[in-house]
Amino acid sequence: MDVLLAFSRPALDWHALAPELTLLAFGTLITVVDIIWDDRSKQAMPTLAGMGLLATLVPILTLAVDGTDRAMFAGAYVVDDFSLVLKALFLISGYIVILMSVDYIREGDYYENEYYTLILTSLLGMVMMSSSRDLVSVFVALELLSIPAYMLAAWRKGGPRSNEAGLKYYLMGVFASAVMLYGMSLVYGLAGSTTFDGIAQSMAADATNPVAILGILFILIGFAFKVSAVPFHTWAPDTYEGAPTPVTAFLAVASKAAGMVALIQLVFVAFPGRDDVVQPFFWVISALTMTIGNLIALRQNNIVRLLAYSGVAQGGFMLVPFAVAAEAPARAFEAIVIYLAIYAFMNLGAFTVVLAVARKTRSGEIDSYGGLFQYAPGLAVAMTVFLAALAGIPPAGGWFAKFGLFRALLDAGGAWAAALGVVVAVNTVIAFAYYARILVQMWFQPIPDGDNRPIAVTGSLGAALAVTIAATMAFGVLPGLVGHFGEVSVLSALGG
Amino acid sequence: MVDALVFFIAAAVCLTGALGVILARNPVHSALMLVMTLFGIAVQFVAQEAHFLAAVQVIVYAGAIVVLFLFVIMLLGVDRAQDLELSILPGQRWAALVFGAGSLMVLGALIVVVGEPVTGAKSVGGSASTAENVRLLARSLFSDHVYAFELTSLLLVIAVIGAVVLARKPSQSELPLVEERGEN
Repeated sequence: MDVLLAFSRPALDWHALAPELTLLAFGTLITVVDIIWDDRSKQAMPTLAGMGLLATLVPILTLAVDGTDRAMFAGAYVVDDFSLVLKALFLISGYIVILMSVDYIREGDYYENEYYTLILTSLLGMVMMSSSRDLVSVFVALELLSIPAYMLAAWRKGGPRSNEAGLKYYLMGVFASAVMLYGMSLVYGLAGSTTFDGIAQSMAADATNPVAILGILFILIGFAFKVSAVPFHTWAPDTYEGAPTPVTAFLAVASKAAGMVALIQLVFVAFPGRDDVVQPFFWVISALTMTIGNLIALRQNNIVRLLAYSGVAQGGFMLVPFAVAAEAPARAFEAIVIYLAIYAFMNLGAFTVVLAVARKTRSGEIDSYGGLFQYAPGLAVAMTVFLAALAGIPPAGGWFAKFGLFRALLDAGGAWAAALGVVVAVNTVIAFAYYARILVQMWFQPIPDGDNRPIAVTGSLGAALAVTIAATMAFGVLPGLVGHFGEVSVLSALGG
Repeated sequence: MVDALVFFIAAAVCLTGALGVILARNPVHSALMLVMTLFGIAVQFVAQEAHFLAAVQVIVYAGAIVVLFLFVIMLLGVDRAQDLELSILPGQRWAALVFGAGSLMVLGALIVVVGEPVTGAKSVGGSASTAENVRLLARSLFSDHVYAFELTSLLLVIAVIGAVVLARKPSQSELPLVEERGEN
C-alpha cells in the first residue's frame, strides 16, 4: 500500500512555467510597490505593467526557439507551439490594452494600481488557458481570467451603467460556469479522467452513452457564454457599453480569444470522436451568432454597442470552422487561429480610435463621427483601415481571415458546409452595411457641432494605433506571416 | 448490523432536522435545525467511507454556509416568528406540498420499477481504489493538480482585492466625476 501511495514530487519544468511565473512576479511587484509608495507610485504603474508583459514574452521566445514540446502534471499542462503562439497573442493584446488604458484610467476616477494588477491576473489566466489540457486546469484558468474581468467591468464605481455592466457580466458568467461545471462532472464521471487525452480515449471506446452528449453540450454551452455566441450573448452589449472602454476592448478581444482557445482544445483534443454532437451544435450556433449579431448591429446608434454586436457577429465567424472540425481538421484549426490573431489587432485598433475620438467629443454616438476626416484625418484613415479589415476588404488584414473560413468549408465539402458558406457570405455583406455607415459619417457628413479643432492623440494611444495598424496591414499584405503561425500551431496540436 | 444501526440513527437525525427546518416558528431555530440535518448527512458519508466528503460537509455547509445564514437572519432582524408571515408568496405552501409529494412519488416509482435498486455497481468509470480517499485526494491535489491548486490561491487573493476595491466607499476628496460618454 505504501508503494502505491508513496508521494513523489511532480516533475517541474521551470523553463515551461517561466512565462506564468514572470507574469505573477510582476503582478505581485505592482501590489507591493503600491503598498510601499502608495500614490507616489501611480505614474509608474502602467510602465511597470507593460514591462511585465514584455518581460513575459522573453521566456515565450526562448521556449519557441527551443521548440520541444513539454508536458507536465500527467499531461494536464502542455507547452507546445500552439500554446506559445496564443500566449504571445494574449500578451500583445494585453500590452495594447494597457497602452489604451494609461490616459483613460489616469484621467478618470479609478483605482489605478489595482486596475493593472487585475489586468495582469486576467492575462495570467489566459496564458494558463492556452496550455491547459485537462478539465480542472481549464476551469481554474477560466475563473482566473473571468473574475478580474467581472470586477474591471464595474471599475467606474460612480457610474450606474458600469455597475450594471459588472453585475450582468458576473451573473451570466457565474451561471455559465455552473452549467459548464455540471457538464464537466458528467464527462469526468463517464471518462474517469480529467485530462483531455483520457477523455478522448474513453469517448472513443464508449460512443453510445447519451450522458456523454449532455456533458459535452453543457461544457460547450458554458464556453459559448464566454465567447458571447447567440443565444448566450445577452450580457455582451450592456457590459460592453457600460464598462470603461479599455476594459471593453479587453473583454471583446482577449477574453473572447481565451474562450475560443478553450473551445479549440476541447473540440480538437478532448472530443475529436464526437463530431456527431459537436458539429451540429456549432453549425446552428455559428449561423445564429453571425446572423443575429449582424442584424442587431445594423440598428445601433452608439459606436461601442455597434462594435459589441459586430464583435458578437465576428465571434460567429470564428465558430464556423468548428462545424467542419472532423472533415477538415487541419484547415479548420488553422482558420480559427488565424482569425483570432487578425481579429485581435483590427478590433483593438477600432477601440483605440473610439477612445481617441471620445477624448474630444465625449460621446459614443455614431453621429458624433460626422466630418472626422476634416479635423482628424489620421484617425479617420486609421478607422477606415480597421473597419475595412473587419468587413473583410483587402488589403487590410480581415480578408485573409475570411478566406481561411471559406477554405476550411470548401475543403470539408458537402451540402452542410456549402450551406454554412452561403450564410457566411450573406453575413459578410450585411456587416459591410453598418461598417459603411460609420465610413460615410466620417468622410462625407458635416461636423455636427462645427467644432473643428484637431484631436490631440496622446503618446500611448498613438503607440497603440501604430502597432494595430502595422499588424492589420501586414497581415493583409503578407498573409503568409500569420498563416505561418497558424500552420505551426496546427502541427503541434494535431500531432501532424 | 452496526452499519444498519448507524444508517437508521443518522437518517432519523436527518429527517428530524429537515422537519425542524420547515416547522420551527423562529428562523434562527430553522437554521440550527439545518445544521442537524447536515451533520446527519456527514455521518452517512462517514458510513460510506467518504471521509473527505464528510469533513467538507461539516466544515463548508455546517460551518460556513449556515453561519452565513445566521448572519443574514440576524442582520436583517427577522429573528421573530411573525416577521416570517410577511414574506410568504401566495400559494407557496401548496406549491411546496405538490412538488414535495411529486418528487416522493417519482422516487417511490423508481424503487418499485427498478426492483433491486442496490446493485453495488460503481456509477462512475473512475479507477476505484481501496486506499483511503483522503490520501488519494491529497496525492492528486499536490501532484497532478498542484498547478491549478496553487493558482486557485491567487484567484482568492485577487477576489479579495477586487471585492475590497468595489465595496470601499470613496472618501469626500475622491467622489466620482460624472462622465458623459454614452449618456448624451
